[in-house]
Amino acid sequence: MTLLATGIPGTDGSTANCTGEASTAVRPHVTVLVDRCAGCQECVVRCPTGALGMDSHRWVAVAEDALCVGCRQCVRTCPFSSITVEGPLLVAERVEVEEARPEHLVGDVDEIRRGLGSWEEALAESARCLACPDPTCVRGCPAHNDIPAFIHAVAERNLGEAHEVLRRTSVLPDTCSRVCNQAAQCEGACTWSLAGGTPVAIGRLERFVCDNAPVPPPRVSPAVVPTTGSELSVAVVGAGPAAIGAAWELVEAGAAVTVYEKDDRPGGLLGWGIPDFTLPEAVAGRPWEQLTRAGVVLHCRTAIGPGDLDGLLAENDAVLLAHGTSLPLRLPVPGADLNGVTDATTVLQAGKDILERGGDVADFLSALGLSGTGPGPRTISRVLVLGAGNTAMDVARTLRRMDLSAVCIDWLDEQFALVRPDELTEARAEGVDVRFSRTVTELRGEGGWVGHAVLAHTRQRSGSEQPKTLSEQPDVISVDLVVMAMGYRADPAFSEALPGAPLRREANGLPDRRWMASGILANSASEVAFSNPVGTLALGREVGLWAAALPFRDRLWAAGDALVGPSTVVESMTQGRRAARAIMAAGPRAPGGSGHRGPRRVLVAYESRSGHTQRAAEAAAGGFSERGDQVRILPISKVGPEDLAVADFLLVGSWVEGLVVARVRPAKAMRTWLAGLPRLGAKPVGIFCTYAVSPKGTLAVMRRAFEAKGAVVVAEAAFGPGELGRDLPEKWESGPVAFGRELAHQTGRARR
Amino acid sequence: MQDRFAPSDPARGLDVTRNPLVARLVRNRHFQFFLILPNQIVFWAVIFIGILGTTVPGLNFGAAITWYIWFCLVFVMMVVVGRAWCSMCPFGGFGEWVQRHSFWNRSERSVGLGLKFPEPLARIGFLIPVVSFLLLTWLEEFFNIAGPGNPAATSFMVLGIVGSALAFFLVFERRTFCRYICPLTTLIGTVGSMGTVAGFRTRDRDICLTCETKDCMRGGEHGYGCPWYTWPGSADSNLYCGLCSECYKACPHDNVGLYLQKPLTSVVAPNRRRIDVAWGIALLWGLVLYQQVNALSLFGSLDTRLNNAIAFPHYPDPVDYLGIIALLALATAGAAWIVAKLLARRDLDLTTPGTFLERGSRFRTFFAPIAYGLVPVIGADYFARQLPKFFKHSTRLVPAVQHVFGASGTQSKLYTLRLLTNPRIVVVQVSVIALGTLAALWTTWRITNRELVPVSRNGVAIRVVTLGLVLVCGLAAGVLYVLMHAAS
Repeated sequence: MTLLATGIPGTDGSTANCTGEASTAVRPHVTVLVDRCAGCQECVVRCPTGALGMDSHRWVAVAEDALCVGCRQCVRTCPFSSITVEGPLLVAERVEVEEARPEHLVGDVDEIRRGLGSWEEALAESARCLACPDPTCVRGCPAHNDIPAFIHAVAERNLGEAHEVLRRTSVLPDTCSRVCNQAAQCEGACTWSLAGGTPVAIGRLERFVCDNAPVPPPRVSPAVVPTTGSELSVAVVGAGPAAIGAAWELVEAGAAVTVYEKDDRPGGLLGWGIPDFTLPEAVAGRPWEQLTRAGVVLHCRTAIGPGDLDGLLAENDAVLLAHGTSLPLRLPVPGADLNGVTDATTVLQAGKDILERGGDVADFLSALGLSGTGPGPRTISRVLVLGAGNTAMDVARTLRRMDLSAVCIDWLDEQFALVRPDELTEARAEGVDVRFSRTVTELRGEGGWVGHAVLAHTRQRSGSEQPKTLSEQPDVISVDLVVMAMGYRADPAFSEALPGAPLRREANGLPDRRWMASGILANSASEVAFSNPVGTLALGREVGLWAAALPFRDRLWAAGDALVGPSTVVESMTQGRRAARAIMAAGPRAPGGSGHRGPRRVLVAYESRSGHTQRAAEAAAGGFSERGDQVRILPISKVGPEDLAVADFLLVGSWVEGLVVARVRPAKAMRTWLAGLPRLGAKPVGIFCTYAVSPKGTLAVMRRAFEAKGAVVVAEAAFGPGELGRDLPEKWESGPVAFGRELAHQTGRARR
Repeated sequence: MQDRFAPSDPARGLDVTRNPLVARLVRNRHFQFFLILPNQIVFWAVIFIGILGTTVPGLNFGAAITWYIWFCLVFVMMVVVGRAWCSMCPFGGFGEWVQRHSFWNRSERSVGLGLKFPEPLARIGFLIPVVSFLLLTWLEEFFNIAGPGNPAATSFMVLGIVGSALAFFLVFERRTFCRYICPLTTLIGTVGSMGTVAGFRTRDRDICLTCETKDCMRGGEHGYGCPWYTWPGSADSNLYCGLCSECYKACPHDNVGLYLQKPLTSVVAPNRRRIDVAWGIALLWGLVLYQQVNALSLFGSLDTRLNNAIAFPHYPDPVDYLGIIALLALATAGAAWIVAKLLARRDLDLTTPGTFLERGSRFRTFFAPIAYGLVPVIGADYFARQLPKFFKHSTRLVPAVQHVFGASGTQSKLYTLRLLTNPRIVVVQVSVIALGTLAALWTTWRITNRELVPVSRNGVAIRVVTLGLVLVCGLAAGVLYVLMHAAS
């Protein structure tokens, strides 16, 4: 049973390890270090093959080598490092798909990557999935697709069910299966990858589902299609992946969605940023066809600036900013202002257009505004692309299709490169010269036109280290055109509307314990993912998801690149969906234009050790309940982004730590929580603390933390032993109870 | 499952953290720091004063507090509490502060390599610390450190322990040093199992088993993962609970409590007998008897002869040191082997394959419970061995402290004061041994009834033999104390 599950041909003594080399009767061997094994059963519940069980007498885990496939989940998840596994990974070779290799690259826009070609291939690949009980691939996927479930559906030959599973978390499975960097996401987090082997081809299986059964359109029940002005109405700025995710979620829920796009066609980066040979037009255009058919109102060629936001907010219940990051980054080196220096956006847009029309280099130069009577070379053949990420590869490969030579340079070391590994391989196969550990220090002109580039060598020892420029002799290469393809940045015009954006995707404090327990943080992905720390990357993405649920200010949300800076399609789409859910949870606005209809929602969050702060929080919350507000009381450890998003008022309390008078401040857990909060968008907040000797600057620390997140602190109080005596109800009345009543009264009146 | 832990689970009412004051104290992250801090100050004082102070051992604060007071106090703590010393130990505490880069806060980064202890070594459990204890004791004897001799030797010994602890804390993760290397860990662990503190245990095992995060093991928002590799959800003795309270702080379900237990529970109750602990007990028994034998005049001539034979400079000759200890440990094991040979049921196959810690055999089935049963008499013997120094010299601590400030000297009355004199010390020593023997008779009786009778052909015979073995051990120790005349 186990062997079939991992695609091993049989038990005749001949097995295949992850590298595909045959080995004779070599099986993994599991050793449980009984000295340290505490019998916690973390390994037992996570073992996908049932190779681990419990010896109930000795209360230690026991292993059965005959069932072990060597995936080493037990090793990664054992809290006390009590298990070791030696031996090969018992998994069949990954089904490799031959890429299309066009005989004549010039002018060819056919899709290069191919999906699994047959059911036999799909079934063989799906059989490699272990269906892990605590699947790390799901955490690695930014959308948290239920990967084992959809692969199981494929194994059952049930494409409808596979789509059903995928649509719970993704509206772009056909796009994501083509453009996602799976090696650093789901496949990098696949248990085989974390064990150093070759992951299940999750992306190809997802694509197989979409290639063989169309992605179902949004399910809009006619009964909830907005027909009157009373439904939730949402304006979405931008039409990229984040907007697609949000619009899909909203329209399915019956909201009226109006989308404003500045370009002449929707899709954002999907439309102009990804060439057809990677993402065919039919796939890129599919979501908007379905969305407009489902009732989403799309206004193209309609640019929305920061000055238009108030108007949009007045007309709608909520506004979602998903305008992306469209301004290309430019490297400030001498010569950067020479003629012949351009950016990726210009090249990709022009290139896509020319290739679609079957134009040539002359048309291309004309589209770039580089032909005609101005200075410059008569012909262009040598192009330097600055950057070696996915955008740079797209640029270079587009150029190759126009019969131009392309050199990509990146100052990162190749082992820490950001490009998709398969994209890099494809680019090199198409003749792109990709040079890592190089950076341009100067561009030299000839007659006002760029002619030479000086490339310095760099060194990078670790992924977290910034490369250092070396003093050794630089390379000087001849160039006719330079394309800056290092990425994009947000439109500064929106910085006032979105203070603090883009958000840094860094997980503060201790990682989520359940993520630790899953083992995703224990190992880097295998070489297929350039040994990326996929767990850390995934945790960072969670910060963006958290933030997407919270408005920047009253009824104004942001998602995708507009929120976190340049990100991936899947991440943007997921943030859009998360923001849409938060918008739906907030509901239609109240008459008068502020907040929402219905009773005020108050969230009382506390950090309590001995119970005093909790009791004070409950007492203060009583004041709000008396007024008819909806009150939720939660310890801060249980406060999720949705709770913060829907709360109209926050009341936060902490106990005070410190040694009498030294280092007196809010409890560490509270400080960590405050530091990890996303933008609170002018949300009104009340704060209090409970102390034994003196609160000193505790409230000031809390106030500053909230103000840094954009919240408005409207009241604060400190309760000492005098107000918190267990046997002094009259003190409680004059302390936390009175504070809550007064606060509820004042803020409630202001709201009216 | 509940049956598995029923004998060792403390009564619900014995959870002292149900008291709000105790709970608040234990939850406070400063708690352990303030336990360690005074000892840290004292032991750095020992190091500096031992080197820089007077060379008169009884007047040197470093030597006086270490050998007249500290060792005795540690034994009292072991017998009463368990690993109380470990919770306040300055050696491990210092290393831990450096490793955590913090005195008390829950820091997220650690200093050092954070390696796992090599598996082949971890697989022999307590045998490494037993060997390090034997080595340390031999060095103490060889350099006359504990005599006490030159106080600087005491300082260098303490410095050596602090240094090696720090090195291990910087190389390995958690309290690898305390669990696998510390010379005292076997002694404290085994003798401490007589104590009345069960350690930190689960309040509801089902909650622990369904806990998704196991913060008590991995570390949580408020506490580190158990530095001793112990899970409150499955702890059935206080053997490896360092009383650091990290699991209590880390548990997100408030499902850990600090429990008391009846004395000797952790000797009698555990279901899982560890063979490394059994060998550790046998070797500790050999060592303490050696320390009694070496006070006899007969031993002196034997040691001198052996030194002459192998050209070794002076006492203690390593051959007789190791020979006597090994002989006594093997005699204990041999007695168990004979008992197993004669009394084990023939119809039971007690052999199971596995590593050193896992293997099962007829010998191991008998040896481990018999060795556990001897713990009280061995603990009593170690304690009794410390008493002469305490009764004869503990009052010297006062003039030693005064001498640090330039006052007092050997002319002080307290310097020559004896709390008890020789014949009375022997009476106390023999009484302690008698008490330990009685306790060992009780533990052996319980263990034999539960674990050995079911695997023996003759229930009466096995009871008689195991209890007889305890009596022989107790008698041997008692007689030796009489013969030693309270030699220290």
